[in-house]
Amino acid sequence: MSHADHGHQHIKLEYQPALPLRNGKLFMWLFLSTEIMFFAALIGVYIVIRFGAPVWPHPSHVHLSEPIGAFNTFVLICSSVSIVLALEAARSDKAAQAKLWVGVTLALGAAFLLVKAYEYNAKFSHGIYPAQPRSQIYEQPDIYYAAAVRGRVRELSAPLLAERAQLEQQLQKPDVADREALQQRFEQIESQLRFYDTEILDIANNPNATEADLAKLADRIMPLPQPGSHSHAAGLNEEYPELKLPVVVPGGNMWASTYFMVTGFHALHVTAGLIAFAVLLLPRNRLGRERAGTIENVGLYWHFVDLVWIFLFPLLYLF
Amino acid sequence: MTTHHGHGQHEDYSTHGYDEHHGKPHDVRKYLYVFLALCVLTSMSFFTYSSYWPFHAYPQVGWTFMMAVSLCKALLVMLFFMHLKYEASWKFVLTIPASVMAIFLIVALIPDIKWRYETIVGGRTVSPQQVPFLATPADVELLEEESRAALAPGQH
Repeated sequence: MSHADHGHQHIKLEYQPALPLRNGKLFMWLFLSTEIMFFAALIGVYIVIRFGAPVWPHPSHVHLSEPIGAFNTFVLICSSVSIVLALEAARSDKAAQAKLWVGVTLALGAAFLLVKAYEYNAKFSHGIYPAQPRSQIYEQPDIYYAAAVRGRVRELSAPLLAERAQLEQQLQKPDVADREALQQRFEQIESQLRFYDTEILDIANNPNATEADLAKLADRIMPLPQPGSHSHAAGLNEEYPELKLPVVVPGGNMWASTYFMVTGFHALHVTAGLIAFAVLLLPRNRLGRERAGTIENVGLYWHFVDLVWIFLFPLLYLF
Repeated sequence: MTTHHGHGQHEDYSTHGYDEHHGKPHDVRKYLYVFLALCVLTSMSFFTYSSYWPFHAYPQVGWTFMMAVSLCKALLVMLFFMHLKYEASWKFVLTIPASVMAIFLIVALIPDIKWRYETIVGGRTVSPQQVPFLATPADVELLEEESRAALAPGQH
């Protein structure tokens, strides 16, 4: 820029970057600032819903396991360390070592997702879904709950009733083979139907059942453990897992919606990170010094995903 | 780390010492210390879940404690793993506005907590009068006692 005035006002400009960092890194940081606001919105909404709710389920009411959450936190922290070691290796031009650490990070991220999938599956198997109509959660033991229980029992007993009718016909024939076995099966079905009658329908089918009666029914189906206790050993749903009766978890539906939304978006981010690691691991990529910038960018993104989980873990599992 | 590379790629500012302390690569031991600190902090927030945590009766104490621990963990990750401790001052340009807006967003949402609480109670979810009827074991016992007490005089 010096000596620019040779008689006329011509200024030679030299390019100076606005911020002294690579374009890729600048882009990643700008992207991360939008991500900060994205997750701040999600977490903010969660806080509003959580603390604005008149009742909120205890983690044990919704089969949320704190040790599993803590384990997943540990896994993500380890993966943050491994990606930073990959970056250091790449900067020292140790390409094979860098690739190894990226592979370790990919494995740890996949382990996180697997644990998350296991957790989601545990929710689904207990009828906890983000929304109706699959959700089996009812807010209170009211007539709608009773109707849902009746509906489920009807679903369960329909095949039994059909089989019983068939058995009755067969047993009426004088020369039926295997009468003993048929009679036994008949009694089995009878006792199963009696079980539905005495354990569930006595309240669910009773038009005079009060809210207190229905609360007792809900407690019979799935007693909510006291805070601090984690035993889900009691209850019809636990004793006979095939029943899958609707349950009463006050605040449970709102909990499920927020839990699946927040952890789902986080899991999507984890998945995106895993794709980036997989691309880095392609055989044609040498992760030497020339790739250090790329690894740094992906690493920044990955640390951000870890950061979000650092806040999500206590908010979702321990609050 | 700037000792052994060519200055050919003019785009690669990170290798020109803008955001690194000059001369040597980061000490790997430093990352291990940060890792250990993060593990200790995670077990600290997990400690609030154990029965040894003395403030189970006051959940607000645990919430504050866990958020403080989480902030420490976030700072450690940002300072060391994301290298913000070693970056030039551009880091403030990119992180502070986003953080301020994120915090403002959450602060702006806080009045909604009270609004939600006041409109939803008595609304579609549950009313305070109904809370005793919700199926927690303690409530069910209470109700059973009540119904026994109500039946008792009628039996004589």
